[in-house]
Amino acid sequence: MTSAAMMMIPKFLTGPEELTVEGPKVLFTFNLLGLKINFTETIILEWIVMAVILGLSYFLTRNLKVKGISKRQVIAEMAVDAITNLVRDTMGKRWLWFTPYIATIFCFSIFGSLISLLGVRAVTSDFSVLLTWAAITFILITWTKIKYGGVGGYLKGFADPIPVMLPINILSEVATPTAMALRHFGNIAGGSIIMGLVYYGLASLSHMIHLQVPVLTVGIPAVLSLYFDLFSDFMQAFIFIMLTMVFISNAGPADDEPA
Amino acid sequence: MKLGFLSIDLGTILFTLCNTLILFLGLKHFLFKPVQKILEERQAAVDQTMQDAEDARSRAEAAETEYTEKLANAKEESAAMLRNATRKAQQRSDEIVAQAKSEAAGILQQNRDELERERRRAESALRSEVSGLAVMVAEKVVEREINQDDHARLIDEFIDSVGDVQ
Repeated sequence: MTSAAMMMIPKFLTGPEELTVEGPKVLFTFNLLGLKINFTETIILEWIVMAVILGLSYFLTRNLKVKGISKRQVIAEMAVDAITNLVRDTMGKRWLWFTPYIATIFCFSIFGSLISLLGVRAVTSDFSVLLTWAAITFILITWTKIKYGGVGGYLKGFADPIPVMLPINILSEVATPTAMALRHFGNIAGGSIIMGLVYYGLASLSHMIHLQVPVLTVGIPAVLSLYFDLFSDFMQAFIFIMLTMVFISNAGPADDEPA
Repeated sequence: MKLGFLSIDLGTILFTLCNTLILFLGLKHFLFKPVQKILEERQAAVDQTMQDAEDARSRAEAAETEYTEKLANAKEESAAMLRNATRKAQQRSDEIVAQAKSEAAGILQQNRDELERERRRAESALRSEVSGLAVMVAEKVVEREINQDDHARLIDEFIDSVGDVQ
């Protein structure tokens, strides 16, 4: 192969030349009430994901009928039914009003992770995003505890069963959302790093055996991608909503009076 | 510029919070509200259909009971009519036979009476003829006029004796 032929191979076909582990790109920064606010690529991706989810919802719920329903309506009804049943079984009838929030986090997480298949950063590989969702869960847990136990009951809960446990209880209270956020972030971000390493390694291997186009990166990573992108994305979204539901409903009284 | 891999960014948190809220409201409005509405409508329709079916079933049962009753009544009625008709026919035939018998007996009796009358008439005619004949014979024998009364008495005596001999 001549050097002229080598020159003709486009840059994007030669495979990654370096591997970097970085956060999201900051597109611009503005001031809000004296705070420096970063506008990152994550937000743009979130908007794309939101547009896809809402567009899909809008598309699926056109021409809803009681009888003789379309395939689209079947999908919409199955989705609503499945998530409603999940919330009812996990949290109880009292929490059925909570279903749309669970659906929101589930869809946002799944689509936010799967968007990485388009070659961009996954929304869920930005720790701030997971921290936000975990913080919402934390606020809802605290709100539920205060709602059903009163402020006194909530504060007393930290000294349970003996006052010595206070630091440990505070730690476990904070650990809940932190662990949730880190678990989800770690799985998705870690998966993307592993996939990056695989692509980089296979490209290097291809170059080592004097292939100008890294042919080895075709096909082989797809198998790993099935786990790190599809299965892991789904599992993490599911785990996150399950933990949210369990923690929040456990914060309230156990007995579920019929709603 | 790029953020750190594990950075916590206030801007991202605020935007994500808003986006999550917007997506929550959007999903609620575009997916859950219409689908739940249609599911409730379908449930109502199903309930209505079940109710209608239940009503129809109870109506059908009532009608069946009614018809069974009517059928039984009709059978009983027809059996009664048949019995009645048979009895009447029997009665009528008995009457006819009895009437025929009595008529036949009447005719027989009439014939007997007629015969009797004929016999009587013939007897009396014979008697007067014989008496005339006897008178004639007697005149010839005695050659004298017999008293009419004695005459009649003699004739009767004669006839009686003749009748006895017969």
